[in-house]
Amino acid sequence: MKFTIQQSTLMSSVQDVMKAISSRTATPILTGMKIEAKENGIVLTGSDSDISIESYIPAESDDNVNVENIEPGSIVLHARYFPEIIRKLPENNVEFEADENFRVTIRSGKAEFNLNGQNAEEYPQLPIVHTDNSFEMPIALLKQMIKQTSFAVSAMETRPILTGVNISLKDNILNFTATDSHRLASKEIPVEADGLAFSNVVIPGKSINELNKTLDDSEDTVEIYVTNNQILFKTRHLNFLSRLLDGNYPETSRLIPNQVKTVIYAKTKDLISTIDRASLLAREERNNVVKLSTSGQQTLEISSNSPEIGNVTEELTVTAIEGEELKISFSSKYVLDALKAIDVEDVKIDFTGAMRPFIIRPTNEEKILQLILPVRTY
Amino acid sequence: MVRKKNHARVIFHIDMNCFYASVEIAANPKLKGKPLAIAGDPRERKGIIVTSSYEARAKGIKTTMPLWQARKLCPELIVLKPDFDKYRAASRKIFTMLSQVTPRIQPVSIDEGYMDVTEVAAEHDPIAIAVNLQKDIFKQLQLPSSIGIAPNKFLAKMASDMKKPLGITILRKRDIPQKLWPMPIGDMHGVGVKTAEKLDKIGVQTIGDLAHADIYQLKRLLGINGERLRNRANGIDNNPVDPDAVNEFKSIGSSQTLPEDTVDPREIQKWLSILAENVERRLKRKQAAGKTIQLMLRYHDRKTITRSKKLPDYIDQKEDMIQITNDLLQKHWDGEPIRLIGITVQDAEEKKSILKQLDLFSYEKEETKAKLDHTIQALNQKYGKDVIRKSDGIHKGDTDLRTSFQKDVLMDYQKSDD
Repeated sequence: MKFTIQQSTLMSSVQDVMKAISSRTATPILTGMKIEAKENGIVLTGSDSDISIESYIPAESDDNVNVENIEPGSIVLHARYFPEIIRKLPENNVEFEADENFRVTIRSGKAEFNLNGQNAEEYPQLPIVHTDNSFEMPIALLKQMIKQTSFAVSAMETRPILTGVNISLKDNILNFTATDSHRLASKEIPVEADGLAFSNVVIPGKSINELNKTLDDSEDTVEIYVTNNQILFKTRHLNFLSRLLDGNYPETSRLIPNQVKTVIYAKTKDLISTIDRASLLAREERNNVVKLSTSGQQTLEISSNSPEIGNVTEELTVTAIEGEELKISFSSKYVLDALKAIDVEDVKIDFTGAMRPFIIRPTNEEKILQLILPVRTY
Repeated sequence: MVRKKNHARVIFHIDMNCFYASVEIAANPKLKGKPLAIAGDPRERKGIIVTSSYEARAKGIKTTMPLWQARKLCPELIVLKPDFDKYRAASRKIFTMLSQVTPRIQPVSIDEGYMDVTEVAAEHDPIAIAVNLQKDIFKQLQLPSSIGIAPNKFLAKMASDMKKPLGITILRKRDIPQKLWPMPIGDMHGVGVKTAEKLDKIGVQTIGDLAHADIYQLKRLLGINGERLRNRANGIDNNPVDPDAVNEFKSIGSSQTLPEDTVDPREIQKWLSILAENVERRLKRKQAAGKTIQLMLRYHDRKTITRSKKLPDYIDQKEDMIQITNDLLQKHWDGEPIRLIGITVQDAEEKKSILKQLDLFSYEKEETKAKLDHTIQALNQKYGKDVIRKSDGIHKGDTDLRTSFQKDVLMDYQKSDD
């Protein structure tokens, strides 16, 4: 096999694929990167068996020639050395060549590397996603949905299913939900899915975060294929394949209360800075607890107290307070995460009682919801 | 307080003599002068002596001796079941009397405590204070005590042990070489059997040996505690009398020597459940909950293991304790006959300082529980303490063991104080 390529083109593909490669894997060959030369381009593959990423560099695109002198073939190179070698090559022009004994030569300028590769036939076949269950959406929108929900996945393995983001599609509405059981983030958007429907598709939190990092901010779209144990995100040059989590995602919609006792309308920025200040004296091992109490129709008092450090109280004038008086304690971290994820100017918070969940939404009712469970103080 | 830092302190250690037995005798004068023992449960063949009167001790009866052995030594021994409510009431009265001398009291158990009388001693002779205190307690409550007077807690503790009953012993720094140093190391406060064995290996047999032992060797042997013990042997102990020390509980537990060594899972389950009930009751009394559970097993050959589990949440319910200790048992019990079982809740905190992050899948349960707690609190406030408790089917007191029980009392005394 043989090809000639631009270093920068190769490097950006290598970086994408590296996101799927782990140095700790049960299958030794997966510590390597598969490089395949075809008549019409180069395919790089990396996998840790949970996530697999294929990056495709077409020989020609938009009148540009990316790869030249292609002689088809394939090889696996150890991912510990290959990316660093490419990164540090002296010239932009890279010649890549592998012989039948899996010896690889990489030439650039006056540098020549000889590397021992492995037989690509030993590299596991990636599962082929056979399905017509696919729909398309803009990459930017997918990235936004991930950012607004994935932070709420559980970091604990006690309930493995909660370490993922639950995706469902029904009546052309796509929903992402994540919860670690202390808070829940949910976002819905309309998509053109031609009536396609699925539920209980749970993508591991790690996969979805890697996906977010791998996808470029672009105006392109992504095609999403769903099977019962795999999900494939396909863009023009990238296939991102992830295993799905086994198990039933809990039915969360019925856990979201609908009767409201107190409603607060406020400027997101004001809330963030006040709670952030109060949290300076809240300790992590004590859930970063901050107290909120209402006073009258427009004033909140936000406070925090750590006996051994000190205490802080701040009054905040908000747009409006409706309903019953309220005193509640909560993790400042959860509320700050939620407010930042919502990313709108004005929010509405529905409280359902001091020991019950409260829900943060944009005032103008976009289909996003951040639910948080308070902290019980005895 | 404009006092020079180096100004010598005057510390009392007061120790009630044969406390449980003395309280029983005070309540029933017919017992006076007779050999009396308080034992776990007289019906159980292997009940254990918790304490005994001097008359019983004269016959060789010792604390922790099995009852059958005590009966052999002293067939006329009168054995009573412990009545912890009675002891708690007596203890409260004693500490109330102490608090009339100075508020600077640190109770360490149901029947002993430290007092810092430095300020009082500036105007009154400390010996006279001690004599009067001892007399008053004996006159009003018919309870004998011993008092040690010294410039620090350690020496005061050692002094109160020197003369019993009704002793008053002064231990000055200059008395240390004659009075303290000849004593065997095992009699030193803070030196247990294990430490004594270790010290013996480096040739330390008396407190005097320890006072002159090589500090680096001690540190290697006992860690930081080695240095502290050596300081104490030299009469140095800067620990203040801390009235709040009793509030800093970290663990609450209960253990029980079984009537017979057993491998019967049902028997073991029964005891786990009784012990969990005890621990639950103590936690509730202190309004506390804990985050780590420890199971202790002592086998027939006295080999003892402790195994613990850290929990994600604070617990105070016996059901949780039973479940977790049972898991620990299944995992770690090697099937050998068990002699003693203990359950301890560690990392305990007062509920008012505990925060609980509510959970989406269980908040409704928590809410119901909170409402119930709130109602009980409100009713207790209205009609007096402990009018209502959550029903937990406890038989009061009878399975309590000494050490943990004592800690509870100290909290009681402070509550009665306000």
